[in-house]
Amino acid sequence: MIAVKGLTRTFGDLVAVDDVTFDVTDGLMTGFVGGNGAGKTTTMRMVMGLLAMHGGEVLWNGAPITAAERRRVGYMPEERGLYPKQKVLDQLVYLGELSGMTASAARASVTTHLERFGLEDRAGERVEKLSLGNQQRVQIIAALMTEPDALILDEPFSGLDPQAVDSMADLLREHTARGIPVLFSSHQLDLVERLCDRLVVLAHGRVVATGSVDELRSGGPELYRLTLDGDAGWVRDLAGIHVHDVDGTTALVEPDDAGARRALLEAAVSRGDVLDFAKQVPALSEIYREVTA
Amino acid sequence: MTRHAWLTVARREIITKLTDRAFIVGTLALIGILAAALGVQAYVGSRASEYAVVTSSAAAERMADAVKVAAEGADDKTTVTLATAPDDAAATQRVRDGDADVWIREGTDGWVLTGKEEVPGDLERVATSAIRDATLSENASAAGTSVEALARGSEVTTAVLDGDADKAFIAQAVGFALAMLFYLASFTFGLALANSVVEEKASRIVEIITTKIPVRQLLTGKVAGNLALAFAQMAIFVAVGLVGLSFTEYDRFLPAVSGAVGWFVAFFVVGFGLLACLWAVAGALASRTEDVQSTSTPLTMLTMAVFFAALLAEGSLKVVLSFVPPFSAVLMPIRVLEGSAPWWQALLALGLLVAAAAGVVAVASRLYQRSLLQTQGKLSLRQAWSTPE
Repeated sequence: MIAVKGLTRTFGDLVAVDDVTFDVTDGLMTGFVGGNGAGKTTTMRMVMGLLAMHGGEVLWNGAPITAAERRRVGYMPEERGLYPKQKVLDQLVYLGELSGMTASAARASVTTHLERFGLEDRAGERVEKLSLGNQQRVQIIAALMTEPDALILDEPFSGLDPQAVDSMADLLREHTARGIPVLFSSHQLDLVERLCDRLVVLAHGRVVATGSVDELRSGGPELYRLTLDGDAGWVRDLAGIHVHDVDGTTALVEPDDAGARRALLEAAVSRGDVLDFAKQVPALSEIYREVTA
Repeated sequence: MTRHAWLTVARREIITKLTDRAFIVGTLALIGILAAALGVQAYVGSRASEYAVVTSSAAAERMADAVKVAAEGADDKTTVTLATAPDDAAATQRVRDGDADVWIREGTDGWVLTGKEEVPGDLERVATSAIRDATLSENASAAGTSVEALARGSEVTTAVLDGDADKAFIAQAVGFALAMLFYLASFTFGLALANSVVEEKASRIVEIITTKIPVRQLLTGKVAGNLALAFAQMAIFVAVGLVGLSFTEYDRFLPAVSGAVGWFVAFFVVGFGLLACLWAVAGALASRTEDVQSTSTPLTMLTMAVFFAALLAEGSLKVVLSFVPPFSAVLMPIRVLEGSAPWWQALLALGLLVAAAAGVVAVASRLYQRSLLQTQGKLSLRQAWSTPE
């Protein structure tokens, strides 16, 4: 498990990362969400030891992470980096060897991964000849090929088509199934919602929310949408009901408790037909807007 | 594994270079030029000359004999064939037809060499002195004395205080070649090294690499790989040069030159390593390939200064610079070659160079480490030194 504790980093006067604390739990996929400049990349670079920490620490299974342990972490930087003029296979084998694999083990792993992404016939091509999406796949292979002890991936899904997103997601799930912690950042909230077991939301360098998607949702108010066959304005007069919005025959309300909710429904039925009465599940994007506002 | 990671890096540097067509073509072209230059030298030196001489009188025939003996005695690659013609007209005709190069005859006041369009210079020189010697000795015995008696005390010999002229020439030529080699190697490999560092920075692959291996290992590997290549390239050039030299008339200097080349190799390795670290820093200070030109300007100047110092420095400046790194990398081997530096001076200069290189490596790896992950524009040395990791 990777634990980030009180991580802080400044650039001149700008506090890019401010006392950030969260866990990346074994066997779970943790999504790292936040707008541009929220501090995601800076945090990940500090976790990987690429940037010095100005405060706080990074723990690996409870103890400060060492260089040797970092070496066992698969990392994919935000700005994609590969040698443009080197062949795909040679390049990946080289990176594998730098991670401590033997050349033959690296070759075998690269070949398997290339096949997975349908890139086996591109192994001999220069990286610059590949499309951006395929370069991205090669980059992901570079992070995954070593059977790493953890994965830190900065925007791994950006630039991938839906099919590639699915195969990438399957691949990541295989790694969490091995019991390793996976942290990835993304702007694509729907994707995060679909894939992640846990979320860390960052805004202006601070953690504004953490937890599972359900936990984040339940943290908000419980809203109900009521649709009648006549004007819904009368709901404003009911006790124990906080009205968020009334629009003609539809009202968005927040009952104080279950009793108030039952009283609301009974009153509505006594006045006419109730066309719809349903609990509102907020989309992650709504929660995100709320917590980062 | 990480203790040997630099070997993996070095191997990649070498393979990348060896599969780079421009590098291979450039190296082969230089070897070709070198071999061609030495080949021409050797060919000119070894070309056999054959001259056909015709005479039309008994006296001239005797004189032509003397010329033949003198010409063939002076140079074992020269042969002279003699022929006689019945009269002057027939002899003239032979020269005109190209059957003979020269017609030797006795004129009214001395001897005349007649050629078709020209008289071959080599033959003219030999014939002139042979004819003069023969005539002088005839005249001398006619006067009851001998040429030796007449010439006694007129002998002029030359002496130089520092070695002989040929040795000075060869020392200068080989010195120039070594300075050129060092300049070419440190400039071309240095620039390539700086560019490969900035390529890693610009493509951000350096972020992946530095999470896997320590930055120092990356620097070591890159410098070592380029050093090995530069060394191999230089060894080929030097080998071609020495083998070529053995075919020229200067082959007797081979032992002396080879000894100095041994010193040069030692100085080359250390001096190149020192400069290579600085080139790597020049690359790390830049963020894009376009920046390399300006971040490497001081180094370009330094490399050129070393080259010109090797060519131009004289006297005590030369002696002083031959101990000052990185100038010593070229100047000391040149002084060894000239015979003006004893072995202990060479060893001292090498020691100083090694110490300087160790210092540069320490400073360079700090600068390299701190600027490697800074990707916003160019860095000054001061920024790179003081920037936090």
